Amino acid sequence: MDHIDLFAMREQFNSQQILLCFNGPISRSLIEEIGNALRNYLAADSAPTSAAMDVFAVYIEMTQNISHYTRAKGWNEQEAGATVVVSRDEGGRYIVSAGNLIESADGENLVSSIARLAELDKAGLKAAYKEQLRRPRDAERPSGAGLGLIDIARKSSAPLQASLQPVANGRSFFSLRAVI
Amino acid sequence: MNDFSIPSSQSTPEVRSDWNAGQLHMAGDSYPENSFDLFQQVFDWIESYLDQAGAPLSLELRLLYLNTSSVKAMMDVFDLLEAAHQDGKQVAVNWYYDPQNERVAELAEEFKEDCTFNFNIISHP
Repeated sequence: MDHIDLFAMREQFNSQQILLCFNGPISRSLIEEIGNALRNYLAADSAPTSAAMDVFAVYIEMTQNISHYTRAKGWNEQEAGATVVVSRDEGGRYIVSAGNLIESADGENLVSSIARLAELDKAGLKAAYKEQLRRPRDAERPSGAGLGLIDIARKSSAPLQASLQPVANGRSFFSLRAVI
Repeated sequence: MNDFSIPSSQSTPEVRSDWNAGQLHMAGDSYPENSFDLFQQVFDWIESYLDQAGAPLSLELRLLYLNTSSVKAMMDVFDLLEAAHQDGKQVAVNWYYDPQNERVAELAEEFKEDCTFNFNIISHP
């Protein structure tokens, strides 16, 4: 196996302005610890309070969605991995991206829900949020991600981007990108 | 009587009830993955207070960030207050926020939209 070229990784992280990245099994306490680190980085980065709040909120909703999903499926720790990256784009806007393995059918549903959210303006997103908030808990879709996704869309300054990459055994890698 | 208090943790707020003063205090961030256990205690206390105390109730909030699971739980709490208000009981919410952090005021405003009882959003540097 090739050795890990840390220098090349560092160059790539720097050129893509990656503040924080994580890949691996994710637990409740790890979500909190990484979140704490993220808050510190944002403070050190002199992010405005609202932007820091939004980035943190989007990170929490994305990772907790992944955690809920893998728990609902009863997957083990190795299957329950998440890939999370917080970076900045050329314009200085924060980007929160997260990905995880998902059953392909669930992934297709998610991608189409996100496409529907992308068509809504601010008022439409707010109405969808309030409607979802009033929906009984047990009526939530098994993918769970209803309210969290709308919240992420509301905190984003551009439509969410989602993609699905087939892996094996009816599963795909789902990835979601939010520009704050 | 019947009072409880929960210290804050990284992802849960400090919660403290004061039956004699008719107040429930909540302060800090709330983003546990499962907010049910925490909010069940809040909910139960408010229910018994409204049922038995025969005195006004106010929620004194200094909450900051809520994840969607906590937002849903808080909505249930405010619905409970709304029902009590419709019943003629005296209920109020005082939500204090730092003017430096406009997101907190926006969050509180959205809850307020669905409430007809006395819901105050107070700038408190």
